[in-house]
Amino acid sequence: MNPNEDIESERIETTEQRSIIFRLPVSMICGGIIVLVWLIGAIAAPLISDYDPIAIDFLKILQPPSSSNLFGTDDLGRDMFTRVLYAARIDIWMGVAGVFAPMIIGIFFGLVAGYMGGIIDKILMRLVDITLAFPFFVLVLVIVAMLGPGLVNFIIALAFVAWVPYARLIRADVQIIKKSEYIQAAQTLGFSPVYIMLRHVLPNALSPIIVYAVTDAVLVILLGASLGFLGLGVQPPTPEWGVMIANGQSYISTAWWISFFPGVATVSMGLGLALIGNGLSSLRLGSD
Amino acid sequence: MTTGTQNSGTSLVSVENLSVDFHMENQKVQAVRGVSFELIRGEILGVVGESGSGKSVMCRSILGLLPGTASASGKVLYEGRDLSNLSDDEWRTIRGKQASMIFQNPSSHLDPLMTAGTHVAEPLRYHEGASASDARTTAIDLLHTVGIADPEHRVDAFPHELSGGMKQRVMIASAIACKPKFLIADEPTTALDVTVQARILALLKDLNQQQNLTIIFVSHDLGVISEICDRVLVMKDGKVVEQGTTQDIIFHPKDPYTQLLINSQPSIRARLRQQSLGEIEPVQTITAKPVMGIKNLAVEFPGKNAALFGLLGGISAPPVKALGNISMDIYKGEVIGIVGESGSGKSTLARVITRLQNPTAGSVTYEGQNIADFSGSDLINYHREVQMAFQNPFESLNPRFTIRQTIAEPLIVHNLIPRDQVETRTSELMKLVEIPEKLSSRRPRQLSGGQCQRVGIARALAMEPKVLIADEITSALDVTIQAQILDLLEHIREKENLTIIYISHDLAVVRMICSRVAVFRDGHLIEIGDVGDVLNNPKEEYTRTLIASAPRFSTEQAF
Repeated sequence: MNPNEDIESERIETTEQRSIIFRLPVSMICGGIIVLVWLIGAIAAPLISDYDPIAIDFLKILQPPSSSNLFGTDDLGRDMFTRVLYAARIDIWMGVAGVFAPMIIGIFFGLVAGYMGGIIDKILMRLVDITLAFPFFVLVLVIVAMLGPGLVNFIIALAFVAWVPYARLIRADVQIIKKSEYIQAAQTLGFSPVYIMLRHVLPNALSPIIVYAVTDAVLVILLGASLGFLGLGVQPPTPEWGVMIANGQSYISTAWWISFFPGVATVSMGLGLALIGNGLSSLRLGSD
Repeated sequence: MTTGTQNSGTSLVSVENLSVDFHMENQKVQAVRGVSFELIRGEILGVVGESGSGKSVMCRSILGLLPGTASASGKVLYEGRDLSNLSDDEWRTIRGKQASMIFQNPSSHLDPLMTAGTHVAEPLRYHEGASASDARTTAIDLLHTVGIADPEHRVDAFPHELSGGMKQRVMIASAIACKPKFLIADEPTTALDVTVQARILALLKDLNQQQNLTIIFVSHDLGVISEICDRVLVMKDGKVVEQGTTQDIIFHPKDPYTQLLINSQPSIRARLRQQSLGEIEPVQTITAKPVMGIKNLAVEFPGKNAALFGLLGGISAPPVKALGNISMDIYKGEVIGIVGESGSGKSTLARVITRLQNPTAGSVTYEGQNIADFSGSDLINYHREVQMAFQNPFESLNPRFTIRQTIAEPLIVHNLIPRDQVETRTSELMKLVEIPEKLSSRRPRQLSGGQCQRVGIARALAMEPKVLIADEITSALDVTIQAQILDLLEHIREKENLTIIYISHDLAVVRMICSRVAVFRDGHLIEIGDVGDVLNNPKEEYTRTLIASAPRFSTEQAF
């Protein structure tokens, strides 16, 4: 239509366009591979190993790693390799649910507080202050202790406590976005506040939340493992990395493999997620 | 025109075949392509071009201020000395002492933690080793030279305590502190109001004549260029398409692009239009019914500190008056211009009319009904009939929506037409605003400013409004694009029988498309009437100042 607007192309020489895979940071690809390996291991656990993760075999107690038991066996003769794989199912689920529950609550409160402002904002933000006044771990411990140990109660406790950073993050972004002209345009087009919040504000405020959620998953998995270690998390005999580490504690000098392999699993999972989170945030900064 | 050429003829800077490339991640952009010109001692050389024409990059490369991703080739000779391979130390003997530069946005180029005096004294202390007290005295003198009133006190003011015009003066004072031989001014008045712009231009002209300062003046605005420059370079796509004396360029442009640039000037277009069609016919205000009535409208914002002190017990700064007691009528089918400088309350008026802002007092009525009473379906109906297009073309579109989604959204949300017709209606709207169909799946970032603005207008038109408010819709656009958007608006107005409220700071644009005009200042309506009456015989002193300050594009003789 207009000769001036298309002319740019003449002065811009595009060298070969590399596909998105090659433009991702290397660290992020490494992180992705680690997490992917754990995901496949968790899903395909019954195919990878013939052992039953909770079947007790007193003939094979405390065997060191060997070709038949890659990671050795524990004090009840269960194959550690199988247990580590099955435990990944629990821990990944814990990471996902433990991030999503508080994230959804936090997004809701943050979006409403940021967009509505005024008295609603003041009330919600005081709620944030009250929650922040208690030490995070202590509050989670107290709630789990009150509700009783277990995975579901752990998620509930997290939902009560961990929504705060999500709410704060999203509120700050929403406050900026709601002043932008495209939100004003949506308002003059007569759209309802709920529609504007969900369709125009939220999608544009989501990317920092996603970056934070990935790094938060690391903390959730570590926290879940620590609760398991304290006996407040997943209950035996269900395999869970934290519980397994705790279990191996009394054999640490004689059978190091009981605690070592679940420990390596926890660290590698955390590292993988952290690398992905790092990569996502640098991508986000780069694209702005 | 050609003044300040006391020792004319000798060249101060000569640029030979200068090219600058930017190396991005996977592409190479040629910003400047083979530019050659001479800067003659004592002249003001204008560089004009639209955004992306490479004019800023070219100026920066003269002073070696290119970013690391750029590579330059060609020669820049300053008093015969080749500047292309200077070390950082050698550059320091040139920048600030021999040549300096001022920028478009004085707010972001002044250090918020340094006073005006420190800014001006800094080059003196650094380059000439002046003592603190000497530098301060000189700084006060310089501030006086650049026209800052009461320099003895203002010397200790921080940037946030100064207005935009004063900040630009501080930047100029700092740039000329070491008596450089030449100054590069990169769009120094673009961010300023017209009355302030007129004073800064006068100051630069004074410095040129009295201190024999050679100036390269970069601007996208041919009007401003023609006011103060002796010679002009016209740049397009990194190349110089034409150069010559200001007279020659303006009266006898040879290159088609220069001709397009001149013909796109709103003041020229307004005059051409007047010659062919006569004055824009005002709507018969006596017989026509007002579609919108504004009565004693006032808007106040709580004072700055109110939020903090409000919590502590009710002490607050006095409220800021954005609009005070405005009354005016808007008639069906007219294009009414609302002009004023920044802070005059013209955008606040638009926000009140679109109900983005509630008035403190007074009322706005639409077809006899107070708009504050609308709710539910009445309100949606009102939003349908009164639509708005926004200033910033990129900001006013959701970055995640494609063009088609953006235009179709109001159709779908309000169920304006059956679902299966949305596609065709969207295409119709795109055609109306002249957006090619192939762009429909692009997102705002992949479009130019003019294209985004068209999408914004199409979105507003999707509601089939009766009143369209256009808030500075062309001020962020290049002049040739502005001309296209204005033509489009004109075309749509006739086709859709719209009433348009056109908000602008640019009198020439208002003269071109409006039938009536209202002049705002500090939240008050100063003057209102037919465009011809107000602009040709202004009654108020302020209107006269405003008209006098607008850069006069001096082609009167040519027509």
